[in-house]
Amino acid sequence: MSASAKPYGILAQFDTAADIFEAALRCRDAGYRKWDVYTPFPIHGMDEAMGLEHSKVGYFTFCGGVTGFTTGMTMIWYMNKFDYGLVVGGKPLFTPLFAFPVSYELTILLSAFATLGGMLLLNRLPKLYNPLFRSENFKRASNDRFFICIEAADPKFAEARALLEASGASAIELVED
Amino acid sequence: MILSPFFKRIFALLACAGLVTFGALRLVAAEHAEPAAATHAAAESHAAAPAEHGDAHAEGGHGHGHSANAVEVTFLSQFLYSYLTAYMFCLSIVVGALFLVILHHLFDASWSTPIRRVNEQIACLAPVMGVLALPIIILAPSIYPWMSIDPAHDHALDVKKILFNRTSFTVILLAIFGLWSFMALNFRKWSVAQDKDGAAKWTSKARFQAAWGIFAFAFSLTLVVFLLMKSLMHQFFSTMYGVYYFAGSVWTTLATVYGIVTWLRTRELKGVIFNNTIHYIGTLFFAFTVFYAYIHFSQYFLIWNAAIPEETFWYVKREVGSWWQVGLLILFGHFFVPFLILLRIDTKMNPLVMGPMILWAWLMHYVDMTFNVMPVLYPEGLHVTLLDPICWIGLAAVLAALFWKNFKSAAPFPLKDPRLKEAITQHEVPAPGAAAAHH
Repeated sequence: MSASAKPYGILAQFDTAADIFEAALRCRDAGYRKWDVYTPFPIHGMDEAMGLEHSKVGYFTFCGGVTGFTTGMTMIWYMNKFDYGLVVGGKPLFTPLFAFPVSYELTILLSAFATLGGMLLLNRLPKLYNPLFRSENFKRASNDRFFICIEAADPKFAEARALLEASGASAIELVED
Repeated sequence: MILSPFFKRIFALLACAGLVTFGALRLVAAEHAEPAAATHAAAESHAAAPAEHGDAHAEGGHGHGHSANAVEVTFLSQFLYSYLTAYMFCLSIVVGALFLVILHHLFDASWSTPIRRVNEQIACLAPVMGVLALPIIILAPSIYPWMSIDPAHDHALDVKKILFNRTSFTVILLAIFGLWSFMALNFRKWSVAQDKDGAAKWTSKARFQAAWGIFAFAFSLTLVVFLLMKSLMHQFFSTMYGVYYFAGSVWTTLATVYGIVTWLRTRELKGVIFNNTIHYIGTLFFAFTVFYAYIHFSQYFLIWNAAIPEETFWYVKREVGSWWQVGLLILFGHFFVPFLILLRIDTKMNPLVMGPMILWAWLMHYVDMTFNVMPVLYPEGLHVTLLDPICWIGLAAVLAALFWKNFKSAAPFPLKDPRLKEAITQHEVPAPGAAAAHH
């Protein structure tokens, strides 16, 4: 740990889900922007407690779905009617009816791909390294402890330690970048 | 017993229905003296139809059993068809509410605890629906063409006569209304009993009933819809018809419950309904928008793809004249428009969007019922008479008044349900600012 290393953020450990929920409310109300909560399991209402807005992933999903539906319809129209007209079962060369199941499947498929892709993109994943991995305590984030990290890039970083101490953290440490 | 004035009203209603029915029966006897011969001739021409199957198919199935489905338009038949359409609409909301109560207990849900009493009280209109079905059951021969046909002359009826005969029709319907009333009244009885002592045994009883009830519900609803609506064209085959009605029913119920809960949020249900509750009802409403479309498309698509005349004729008749436009209205109005509007999370929670959306859902479900019932009476296209809105609004108003009377007779939500605390604390987060006071 060299003296020249600049801080990444301040990491506070909490012992219960109720404690971290209260602490998240305080951070939200104190106006912090660059911070995050790490818990071993999802906590009901944490999104609202952190003041997070609705996820933007839905827009990716919608675009993926529209693309899939259009692709399905266009593909079947092109193959079955435009490029090489083929009568199947005495049905018309093209109708949205028989093109629908395939278009529907493509809607689901591309929606799912877009959702996964959008989620990774918005979360800036995959990310191979995070400075929080330096913390020995943080290993318990996937077991039985709850963490809040307020990043040094937040304009209110100077008051962060006092806030986290007042929120009942069981351990606080500075994590270097 | 707190229910006795309620049952007195039902008996009064029963007596009125009986009088109207008796009068109408005399009218039918007079009217049918002559048309009986015509129906008989129609039945014979239908019996001859299988021989001309090739021809009927060539013209798109138009000829298949058309004459056997014809019902003469008289004041009585017009009234009965308007009444049946309105009745099927109202029945949707009652059985939909019963389903929501069953669903709540099956999943041991917590979020829907504060709205469960509303659903229980709507479901308790089941006995009233049984009484309101009496005019249909008694005057059935003036509604259902198959009742005037001799099965010996009609193969389609002959193979279905185990179900499609006057005795089965009456007994099955009355038994099922008994079953639904039993289930609904039990759910409410146990729920109200829990208001007093908060004992968990009431929840266990309800859960046990929900477990066998979901199967009984599925079979009984299918039977009722087959008898009351599908048998209007008795030649039709569709195993999906029951679930098709079910999907539209729960959709309409969720719209109704959304409206009631939003309205009561600042009144009887103050303090127990949160944004999350509203969001979850909206999400279920959205899910059933898709489920309905999925089921109706599947029914149509399989019939279209197989192209068997015994099935296609049902939709062919619904492509005649303005019924074609009505079908398109269902496709876009029942599915596409609500689907696109409800996609966003914020519209599901916005009363300015959801208010008109609820009215639209009611209208669309009514149009759907009209699409199922009315082509028998008006094969040439949609025909709206004054009796349609009178029956629809009249029936809905009577049921709404009875619901409100029921609702006031008990606590507005399950006061001591073991899941209530979870429902009103775990899913709610203090808003910014409110949190300061909270600390």
